[in-house]
Amino acid sequence: MDTWVMTMMLGVSLFMGSLALMAFLWAVKNGQFDDEEKFLNAAKFDNQEDLNDAVDKEKKREKIKKKDYRPE
Amino acid sequence: MSDKVVCSHCHLEFKKNVMIEDNEYFFCCKGCQGVFHLLLEEGLDSFYEKSANSILSPPQTQFEDSSNFNSQAFYDKFVKKNSDGLSQVSLIIEGIHCSACVWLNEKALHKMDGVIEAGINFTNNKAKIEWIDDTLKLSEIIDMIRAIGYNAYPYDASVQEVQANRVRKDYYLRMAVAIFASMNIMWISVAQYAGYFSGISQEVKTILNIAEGVLATPVLFYSGWIFFRGSYFGLKNKVVNMDLLVATGATLTYVYSVYITITEYGEAYFDSVSMIITFVLIGKFLEVLAKKNASDTLDTISKHIPNEVNIIKDGISVASKLDEVLVGDILLVSSGERVLLDGILIQGEGSFDESSLTGESKPIYKTLNNTIISGTTSIDADIHLRVTKDFNHSTLSNLVSLLENAMNKKPKIEQLANRLSEHFSTVILLLATATFFVWFFWPHSFEESLMVAISVIVIACPCALGLATPVATLIGLSIASKQGILFKEAAYLETMAKVDTFVMDKTGTLTIGKPNVVHEHILHDFDRKILLSLVKYSKHPISQGIHDYINKKIEGEIVFDSYTQVQARGILAKYNNSEIVGGNLKMMQDNNIACEFTSKNSLFYFAIDKQLLAIYELKDTLREGAYDLIQSLHQKGKEIVMLTGDTKESAMDVAQSINIKNVNYELSPKDKLDFVTQLHNDGKVVVMVGDGVNDILSLAKADIGIVMGSGSDIAIDVGDVVLLNNSLNSLYKAFQISTTTFTLIKQNFALSFLYNAITIPLAMAGYIIPLIAALSMSFSSLLVVGNSLRIKYKYKRM
Repeated sequence: MDTWVMTMMLGVSLFMGSLALMAFLWAVKNGQFDDEEKFLNAAKFDNQEDLNDAVDKEKKREKIKKKDYRPE
Repeated sequence: MSDKVVCSHCHLEFKKNVMIEDNEYFFCCKGCQGVFHLLLEEGLDSFYEKSANSILSPPQTQFEDSSNFNSQAFYDKFVKKNSDGLSQVSLIIEGIHCSACVWLNEKALHKMDGVIEAGINFTNNKAKIEWIDDTLKLSEIIDMIRAIGYNAYPYDASVQEVQANRVRKDYYLRMAVAIFASMNIMWISVAQYAGYFSGISQEVKTILNIAEGVLATPVLFYSGWIFFRGSYFGLKNKVVNMDLLVATGATLTYVYSVYITITEYGEAYFDSVSMIITFVLIGKFLEVLAKKNASDTLDTISKHIPNEVNIIKDGISVASKLDEVLVGDILLVSSGERVLLDGILIQGEGSFDESSLTGESKPIYKTLNNTIISGTTSIDADIHLRVTKDFNHSTLSNLVSLLENAMNKKPKIEQLANRLSEHFSTVILLLATATFFVWFFWPHSFEESLMVAISVIVIACPCALGLATPVATLIGLSIASKQGILFKEAAYLETMAKVDTFVMDKTGTLTIGKPNVVHEHILHDFDRKILLSLVKYSKHPISQGIHDYINKKIEGEIVFDSYTQVQARGILAKYNNSEIVGGNLKMMQDNNIACEFTSKNSLFYFAIDKQLLAIYELKDTLREGAYDLIQSLHQKGKEIVMLTGDTKESAMDVAQSINIKNVNYELSPKDKLDFVTQLHNDGKVVVMVGDGVNDILSLAKADIGIVMGSGSDIAIDVGDVVLLNNSLNSLYKAFQISTTTFTLIKQNFALSFLYNAITIPLAMAGYIIPLIAALSMSFSSLLVVGNSLRIKYKYKRM
């Protein structure tokens, strides 16, 4: 019984830890830490508008992939 | 100062009457006004909130036509297609001052149809832009950047730079995985060790082993991949390197631990596997971090050479591509411009700055039929030049190719760490093999013999060795930078400690490089304000030297009725009906003013109404600490050579005053390069200290090129060490710091060898248990780091 509890706790905590690691690796690959100045200033300029822009950018990119991007 | 207002765009302050008034706003120029309205229209005016009154540079107006960015040749060179079918270009954006500027540029570009991605790096002002070429041309993108008040020019994102960034990122990822796994293994190990002493059921032990094994697997195969690759390339070149030791040690330990886990007998060493890899990986990363990027340097050099010149064809001036100018063409050079092609002066005359060839800032006066060498700058002359060499054979392009050559062929002094680790690895691997056979034939079981052999490799932990150099050099670098000494690569610290010859440039390095007043002879009293105003507007170094001298004592300005500069002579002015003359001896003779005073220094005579009033003697003075520096270096037994493009007299004068025996004078940049090459051939390790364009070849070729922070931009780019505070004391300090660091590196190696000398015999005798192996590994690494931190205290008081 107690070995089962230990196995489960080890498994769950390592799994959760690896999720955080994955997120960090993704952020590094994505270039989010490339420019330390910009990275630190991002918090200052962050607002709704910039969030919308980021979404628009993603959309533009996806449309390109589907080959139906038509600039209006 | 109430009559001054601030420009609404660039925030520079000017008098109200010169500003353009526009509703409630004021602008210093049309450019700022245009940008301001554009941002307002586009809804980007929140830029001004973000930039928070920081001062911007007003937009410039003279840009070359942007349409040539659309030419096929240009696209071939700079624009790349990526896998999504998007075009990609790398730009350097000029005029970025603050993070709001980055925001504005990105925002403005994202607003354009067809731009998919625009990322600007604030630290180096480089931008990467992706767009759809069918809807948008590159010229439109560049026009947009210019319209909002910045300038952009494409650069060839050279393979090297991209590579360096990729390598760095790769290390981040691998280190993140290794550190994460090691930290988790550590807390699992706590349970293991507790169990080792107080008893633990085999079942629990296996579970812990499996958990550790799961964590150690990515560390070995992902993070440790670098060592496998390194040892493969090492073996290919028949070299046993540190990577091989790390890779074999970690792999054997890993395989053995897996075996233990399965057979449920004995102790697993998964913690050692991940710890070895993590520690050595961090050491490697520190080395990669402090590597200099040569590619950026060449980028900036070619940027200094424009690609268009004006030539005269059929009596009119036309623009021509630099490499299309033929021998015999007539080149037009206006004042302030750099001469890009060699030629003979056929019309006009004036002063030229030849400092890029000789290092001397004293202008040279050129008249008809004089040859003019490319790379010199016209100070005040508008001339016609008959071209004698095309661009590919010109002195200037020769200089660039010589420089590329020198930079690529820079000698690499082998680092102590590399040499030692090769021997160390070989010895350890041999010892481990020997241990295995001795135990096996003694006779012990195969398992037991293997375990002892592996413990030899594990205990001979390469961690301390791997950290010995990077930690010490990193601390050396940080101490140096606090003293205003910038080492561009960590390895230069070690190289500098091995230097035996110091080669010094004279002008601008040992001396300040500007004439200073050394004697003032006042013959009759006069109003100093007149002289101050007379020399104020002349760009000639002599005038500036006098201006600096008088300006210390008095202030004020008078307005002359007339003011003329006479080329290579002096200045002529009229004030309240009296005639004021200042200049050299020729100027005085031309104006019939008698003077008999002579000196070996440069002289400036000053007269009002034909009466000589004052004589100033000027001389290039030594930098502070020059004498002490040379003495200290002599005491250390270093050889010192002075090289200069200047004449014999002034070279000897300086050399005698600071006690340098070995002097070479009247040298061209190429001669200096040859001199350094000759020293290399004699087996010397050479430091070159310089400041100017004329030194760049020898700076690039020397083992270490040290540049004064006040030197020319190109020299600073080429140099390996920059003395930001221009002080010769820092030069000696740089030398001291590097010697100390090197001593430290040697100590670190001694420590880890001593440590190994104690533990390896124990391991060979079979006395090592996993806990001791793990503890000793951390302990030896801490020892090395702690020892390196010692020099921090030593330099804290300096």
